[in-house]
Amino acid sequence: MGKIPKAVITAAGRKQRSLALQSLVDRDAGSKSALRILLEEALDAGVEEVALVVCPGDQDAYRAAAGPLASHLMFIEQREALGYGHALLSAREWVGPSPFLHMVGDHLYVSHESTRCARQLVRIAASESCSVSAVQATRERLLPYYGTVGGRRVPGAAALYQIDEVVEKPSPTEAERKLIVPGLRVGHYLCFFGMHVLTPGIFEILQDQLRTLEAGSSIALSPALAVLARKERYLAAELNGSRYDIGEKYGLWIAQLALGMSGRDREELLSRIVEMVASRG
Amino acid sequence: MNSRFVEIITSADPEVRNLPVESVCGGLDLASLLEEARLLDRFRRASLNLYERVRALNLLHAIFRFHVPGRLSRTRGLISFEGFSHLLERRFEEAVDAFQREQVQQGVHDANCSALATAYHELALQTLADQVRRSVREVAGNQWMFRMGHPSDHPLRIRSELLLPGKVTGLFPVLAERTPVRMDLSHSCWSDIFFLGMDYPEGARVLNVSIDLGVRGRDALPIPPIQTFLRVLDEPVLKLTSVDLNGRATVRDFAEVFDFARDHLGLVKSAVIASGLVPPGIEGASQPLKDLLERMVGPGLGLEIVSQVNDIPKGSRLAVSTNLLASIIALCMRATGQIKALTGMMDEDERRLVAARAILGEWMGGSGGGWQDSGGVWPGIKLIEGALAGPNDPEHGVSRGRLLPEHRVIGIEEISEESRERLQRSLVLVHGGMAQNVGPILEMVSGKYLVRAKVEWEARLEAGRIFEEILEALRAGDIRRLGAATTRNFFGPIQSVVPWVTNEFTETLIEKCQDRFGENFWGFWMLGGMSGGGMGFIFAPDSKTAGQDFLAGAMLSLKKSLERALPFAMDPVVYEFAINPSGTASVLLEDHRALLTPGYYALTLPADIRGDAQQLTPQRRKELDLFSLACRAGGDLEGVMPALFDRLLPRFDSSQSKTQNLSEMLVENGFDAAQHEQIRADLKSGRTGLAHNRLSVNVRITDVESGDVTPWEDMAGSVGVVAAGEALLREGRVGVVTLAGGAGSRWTQGAGVVKALNPFFRFAGKHRSFLEVHIAKSRLAGARFGKPPVHFITTSYLTHYAIETFLRERDQFAYEGAVVFSPGKSIGLRLVPMVRDLVFAWEETAHQKLDAQKQKVRESLHAALMGWARGAGEGSDYVDNLPSQCLHPVGHWFEFVNLLRNGSLASVLERNPNLDFLLLHNIDTLGANLDPALLGWHAQSGAALSFEVISRRVDDRGGGLARVDGKPRLVEGLAMPREEAEFDLSYYNTLTTWIDLDRTLAVFELTRSNLGDPALVGEAVRRLAARMPTYITLKDVKKRWGNGQEDIFPVAQFEKLWGDMTTLPELDCRFLAVPRARGQQLKDPSQLDGWLRDGSAAQVEALCKWT
Repeated sequence: MGKIPKAVITAAGRKQRSLALQSLVDRDAGSKSALRILLEEALDAGVEEVALVVCPGDQDAYRAAAGPLASHLMFIEQREALGYGHALLSAREWVGPSPFLHMVGDHLYVSHESTRCARQLVRIAASESCSVSAVQATRERLLPYYGTVGGRRVPGAAALYQIDEVVEKPSPTEAERKLIVPGLRVGHYLCFFGMHVLTPGIFEILQDQLRTLEAGSSIALSPALAVLARKERYLAAELNGSRYDIGEKYGLWIAQLALGMSGRDREELLSRIVEMVASRG
Repeated sequence: MNSRFVEIITSADPEVRNLPVESVCGGLDLASLLEEARLLDRFRRASLNLYERVRALNLLHAIFRFHVPGRLSRTRGLISFEGFSHLLERRFEEAVDAFQREQVQQGVHDANCSALATAYHELALQTLADQVRRSVREVAGNQWMFRMGHPSDHPLRIRSELLLPGKVTGLFPVLAERTPVRMDLSHSCWSDIFFLGMDYPEGARVLNVSIDLGVRGRDALPIPPIQTFLRVLDEPVLKLTSVDLNGRATVRDFAEVFDFARDHLGLVKSAVIASGLVPPGIEGASQPLKDLLERMVGPGLGLEIVSQVNDIPKGSRLAVSTNLLASIIALCMRATGQIKALTGMMDEDERRLVAARAILGEWMGGSGGGWQDSGGVWPGIKLIEGALAGPNDPEHGVSRGRLLPEHRVIGIEEISEESRERLQRSLVLVHGGMAQNVGPILEMVSGKYLVRAKVEWEARLEAGRIFEEILEALRAGDIRRLGAATTRNFFGPIQSVVPWVTNEFTETLIEKCQDRFGENFWGFWMLGGMSGGGMGFIFAPDSKTAGQDFLAGAMLSLKKSLERALPFAMDPVVYEFAINPSGTASVLLEDHRALLTPGYYALTLPADIRGDAQQLTPQRRKELDLFSLACRAGGDLEGVMPALFDRLLPRFDSSQSKTQNLSEMLVENGFDAAQHEQIRADLKSGRTGLAHNRLSVNVRITDVESGDVTPWEDMAGSVGVVAAGEALLREGRVGVVTLAGGAGSRWTQGAGVVKALNPFFRFAGKHRSFLEVHIAKSRLAGARFGKPPVHFITTSYLTHYAIETFLRERDQFAYEGAVVFSPGKSIGLRLVPMVRDLVFAWEETAHQKLDAQKQKVRESLHAALMGWARGAGEGSDYVDNLPSQCLHPVGHWFEFVNLLRNGSLASVLERNPNLDFLLLHNIDTLGANLDPALLGWHAQSGAALSFEVISRRVDDRGGGLARVDGKPRLVEGLAMPREEAEFDLSYYNTLTTWIDLDRTLAVFELTRSNLGDPALVGEAVRRLAARMPTYITLKDVKKRWGNGQEDIFPVAQFEKLWGDMTTLPELDCRFLAVPRARGQQLKDPSQLDGWLRDGSAAQVEALCKWT
């Protein structure tokens, strides 16, 4: 697999639309929108162009939120609200025949090393020459929030897994029957990180799903990824970093804390927190 | 030295592996057998394999229960109290160790063998049960439920479809699951017991059919009999409702979810837990339930779960409760996305998971069934077979087979629609009305399978062949052949494995069908654990309707004639059935269809109507609006109004006349109101009670010494003694008194059946009752000595009418001598117990602890019963039951006294002034007979009373023969000052007593000549009664309701006991040690199997002469 020139960020979901516009203080102590932090993540990974899939009419707000990086950004409108998979499918033409990086607009990533998460993922995809989804070992209580993969460790690779099964928000019962991954702690599963490098093969699968879509239903990404796992080599990679869902309760606040604690203002932030805890008794 | 048993257990060759235990034991002397047992015990301790351990334990049980005792010269000995305490605490391994130490220190004796056998048996069952639990927990898909311990960790979410209010009504939708029940067409000798499938998967096969059911004459069509419902509520509670059990609870904390016996919702709660809704791991969490509901359903929301069985009576042998459990589990799993399809059928993997969860639920609720019981989850006809454990199964390396079998749904290409139709046109399903506990049967089957007793093993192989024949007949649509095969199965292998599955009711019905329909009666088919409840009768298609009509009438009339002899819980029922092609399936009732069943509204609306309308939640208001519209529109809900009014304004029922009957019965049976009030006052004030039954702790209780007891062998060996006894028999100077005033509540668990009349065993090809056996012994004595002895039968209000009618209808079994009834003249009225006594009985005296889950259920039940006692009024009269269940006989001391008070002894003496001696015995002491040696010895001794005792075994609880402060006497178990005191006593009281009439009358200050004076007799009895101790006891009494449902209540009553005659200093009492076969008592049906196997049954038969 050669260079990965393009990235697609989805931000058209009904509950997602405003999340990427939220402001946070990044590791460099600069105040930025979540979108800008994501764009920096993508560009750092070597991506040259980023498409943002949005609801019609949301472009201006996002352009403003992108700030100086707006020049790398182009917009794709999702004209019908047919689900997450459909949002990604909307970028098919723009993506073209190359593999691409995909991130969700309501997550932020904090690397535990100097290499950012997206760059770690893109490197793995390039060396493995296949689709790779970033995953994180997650406690089963959080299963209702994530797509989850089942599979086995790739021999000789510490944090790489061959994916056999993908289930969107599985029940713990189903997870225990189908998604146990040897080597993980009891009650932990590999859940999506919100970051993938995918081959264009995914679009064909999504297109098939669109063709057979029943009225009133929508297209999810996880079933398409499950098909992808059967059609081609598809890996999961545990990155050295963490993801933060800014859409969940206190999500933005926790993401901010994570950014702050791993950035320049760590000492100041810590002392403020200690002060606050102490004053509350 | 190599152990032959170990070779058998570990052999790979099935021929060797399946060798019966007798093949080894037969040729060994005592020393060799004990050495074999030692090696076998060492082997089982070292083995990690489940099969090896359990089989070795069962063999050890068989060796010590059946094979060592017969080789012993010494019977008498003491049982280690330390070992016994371990048994009670379920520390069976430690119990084995203690009894083995006893064997080393004291040598081998019968008492210790019985204790070792019991410990091995219990350890085998415990090992098996532990493995079943472990396997169910380890099934993938179940494990997460055991590690989830905090509401915030709950990973389940209610599906979004259930949270969408209806567009028109605003009501949350109702998810409705409809589930058939299952019938087992093959009955392969209980091959569905867990252990058999895990050890011998090749032999574990059943043909299981899902069926819809209706009661003939009541329901228009057969439908899936189980309906369960789930919906979201707009209040943060869990509401549980069982429509058929009239149970409803609003649950707000975790403790209540896990409190199974608190109400009638134990099964629903088990399902809620096993489905993962409230996972087992969260038990004990202190957070409110609403935290979990908020996470799973949403803020301010809750759930309601409703179950309804279409009035199918308990004991149908159609696995109604397991399928109900499975239905609720499936419903909850659908609602939380654990089953993919919200509506319709489910896939095979999901069915298996539901079945595994149902097994888990049964364990949670402290019950248990076989692995085929949740068959209603599957569609149509299926073959369920054991499966070898593979590397991914939790049983791999532990047992050969898996816990969960394989289900193969048989398609119409194998069994055609026509064949299925033919089965439906010929088979008549019924519920005979009997209610029995099948638990002991399943234990027997496991044990017998493991020891490979020859007859039973061959029967199992034969059942396997019959299974093939049944399957072949069904494939061919040959129902006549099928009927022949199921009949052969019932009379052949099934009864060879467990003879107790049949009874007089069943066999008479079969005979009647044969007589009435001849060639058109194609066969009988036993469902489930035993016959008498759910059963199948197969007729030629043209005769099916006539067969249904005939059975309805025949069952009812037969039930009427046997209902005091056999435990019936209800009137018999004939079903209509149809094969269900889909298994469990669900529908979503949305918007204007989002209503529940008429029964649900009849149950729940009265509380809403009586309560404050302002308290109704918005959803409930909307629901009641819709309900009201639906009632006006007719349809299903049209009939609910009368039922609703009946609940709101209960109509006059028979309770008033019930009280009246009770009053009449009290008067008729010699109720002593003054004495009753005295006992009540003493109870309430704490002057009497269970704790007061005990002798003072300062009393010195020791075992008897040589000379205190005369062994039977000494008498039987004396020609003079035997000749003296024979002479007395020839002269007609002895009579028999059979005590039959008690109901024998342990025998049928308080069902109100007269034990004396229970046809418990087939002697000489016919079921015989206890009473018939006793009369048959008198007949043999009469035939041997030329004078049939007079045979007194003491009765009470509980038994008199039933026994008199029973004997009259059977012409007193054509007994050549006189049968004299001695009706009761004393009666008591049961009292609601004092909580103090319940606490004493349950918490301060030693009890057999149950396994962890059952113990939890028991403790929850105890708490509920203490609540009942407080609510009903401690010490108040117990009147909330049938009159006969409210009264009680007042102990066997009065049964002898009644002979004096009712004039029966006086009138016999008038006709037969030669009568000098009586042999008095309990109804269940089957080996007691007019033995000339014992009689001769007693007569020559000059004693007033000679009591027969036997050397104690571990099951012989309840006092014994002791020296109390140096004087030999009988001490009741109730009177033992300390638990362990009983274990210092080597003899157990059989109650069988030889009575010298004149000497015994003397202690009453009576003579033969003044027995005719009632006033004098009355005064004499009162005088002596005042000197006899009064015991307060607790008895379990069943209260029946609904469709065969039963609740059991502990009630207080008082007794005076015959053995206490030995406390009278002026009475010369002696004690005779008799062989066990003569003195042992049959108290519990679970003893029957051992009684048959150890030769006791044959010994009893040898004492009898049948007509």
